[in-house]
Amino acid sequence: MSGMARAYGRGLWEERHVLGYTLLVSLTLFILAPFLMIALRSVGKGWFGKRWLPPELTLDWYRWAIEVGNIPEVMKNTLVIGVIAVLISTAIGIGAGWAFGRRRIPGKEVLLAVLLLPQMIPSITYALGVAKTFYALRLVDTHFGVALAHVSVCAPYAIMVLSATFERLDERVLEAASVCGAGALRSFVHVVLPLVMPGVLASMIFTFTHSYNEFTLTLLTYGPHTVTLPVRTYLAVGDGYWEITSAMAVLMVVPSLVILAVIQRRAQPEKLVGGFKGV
Amino acid sequence: MSPRRRGVTLRLGPHAVTLCLLLPALVAFVGLFCYPMLLTAVLSFRPEGAEAGWTLTNYAAFLTDPYGRRTMLLTLGLALGATAASVLLSVPLALVLREKLRGHRFFRLVILVPLVVPGLIAALGLLLFWGPRGWFNLAVTQWLPGVERPIGVNYTIHGLVLFYVWLYFPYTCVTTLAALESLDRGIEEAGEVVGATRWQVLRYIVLPLVKPGILAGSVLTFMAAFGAFSVPLIAGGNYRTLAVEIYKEISVPIPARWSAASAIAVVMGTMQVVALATYMRLVRRMGAR
Repeated sequence: MSGMARAYGRGLWEERHVLGYTLLVSLTLFILAPFLMIALRSVGKGWFGKRWLPPELTLDWYRWAIEVGNIPEVMKNTLVIGVIAVLISTAIGIGAGWAFGRRRIPGKEVLLAVLLLPQMIPSITYALGVAKTFYALRLVDTHFGVALAHVSVCAPYAIMVLSATFERLDERVLEAASVCGAGALRSFVHVVLPLVMPGVLASMIFTFTHSYNEFTLTLLTYGPHTVTLPVRTYLAVGDGYWEITSAMAVLMVVPSLVILAVIQRRAQPEKLVGGFKGV
Repeated sequence: MSPRRRGVTLRLGPHAVTLCLLLPALVAFVGLFCYPMLLTAVLSFRPEGAEAGWTLTNYAAFLTDPYGRRTMLLTLGLALGATAASVLLSVPLALVLREKLRGHRFFRLVILVPLVVPGLIAALGLLLFWGPRGWFNLAVTQWLPGVERPIGVNYTIHGLVLFYVWLYFPYTCVTTLAALESLDRGIEEAGEVVGATRWQVLRYIVLPLVKPGILAGSVLTFMAAFGAFSVPLIAGGNYRTLAVEIYKEISVPIPARWSAASAIAVVMGTMQVVALATYMRLVRRMGAR
């Protein structure tokens, strides 16, 4: 019996590449097939019953999504909110990042962990309080209000990325600049800025993606004038028109995938895992 | 008595400068996180709709209701189930990816996809794919003998676990892979030299060494799954997790039941902290062994 098991095990080991590829390919299907279905559903016409592919292709659903779903307006809202959230988060991140990266702070590790807490705790638990506060302050259904709600999740990312960026800035380069006679302003513009710019951009991309995709906090603070893409997609799911919803989803997901490509090229995925969110 | 009046320009000490730099972050943290949390906690003790007064009825109503208890169990069970399944998927996957087969870069990228795609869109795609007219059921009914009717996945418990795994296994997988790749291959070779079979090398050398990585990743998966909101909201059907229940309390009844929602939010936050603390202790004990 044990001999048979061993022979069986050896057989499996010899076929390990086949087994490995089977696992990888099934996983790829598992992960990517849902997107393929969304994409096909968004351009398919008369796709009913037992068919693998839609019989006819059409762009009608996109037209419907754009006209009925009011996508241009929604896209504008999403972008405006995203830009405000990025500006506020970056301002917060530059200050705090410089403090954490380059200055002595008593209890630095603990303080940083505390400031990053909003990433770890499910946002619904504090979104409730944010919404209640914003109702009182009449910030609900304003672009600024929704953006401010996003800052609670976006700012920790900015702080995380920027403190790492500023920490890497070499003291000796700054000294060299001042030795060569550069004043504070000159050395900032010509030395510091070019060195930290990639980090600042990365932080802006991160925070923008988070604002762009943020659903929980938006759902609790949006109104008729501040519908964003995720909220619009959610409302469309409720309406039950899968084709139109799929078209909206495609319009929404393309930027995310572009950003994935950028992140993969510029940052290590393990670092991405450090900040997560159950959304 | 300000410094300026004494003819001295204002000079900030190093700590004051640090504080100024940190100020925006602290203001945002307090205003957008601490205060809302505190407000939620206070609201949860207020009678429904009242501005003053203290009561425990909101908690009593939720905790004694069998439906409330079922919601808590469901949320915890889904998170634990998804975490266990993610570990079972991630370990073999990481072992295969470590071998750097041809095209492994592409597969590594694929694993990251669930991390960057909005949960909402993921839920939509998963519902389409696993639905009665989706490719999964087409394949099953056409190719598997004996299966005539579509298999129900959407809006079931096992379906939700499956969706959670899709969304949150990358946390476990990426950390497991990182742990495996930092492992010295020489140790495994040493095991083989002294006559251990491949299975024994895996069981007694590799797995114990990467266990901290697996456990750290599974904590992330667990936390994310416990706090999941958009996926159970869309794909949960009749199964409502705590997060969904909170939202329903303020969106379905008119007027909104803020105090009831706040009480559930406090219960959820407490459960998350307790679960995390227990998990960490367990992890430490297992790591020590």
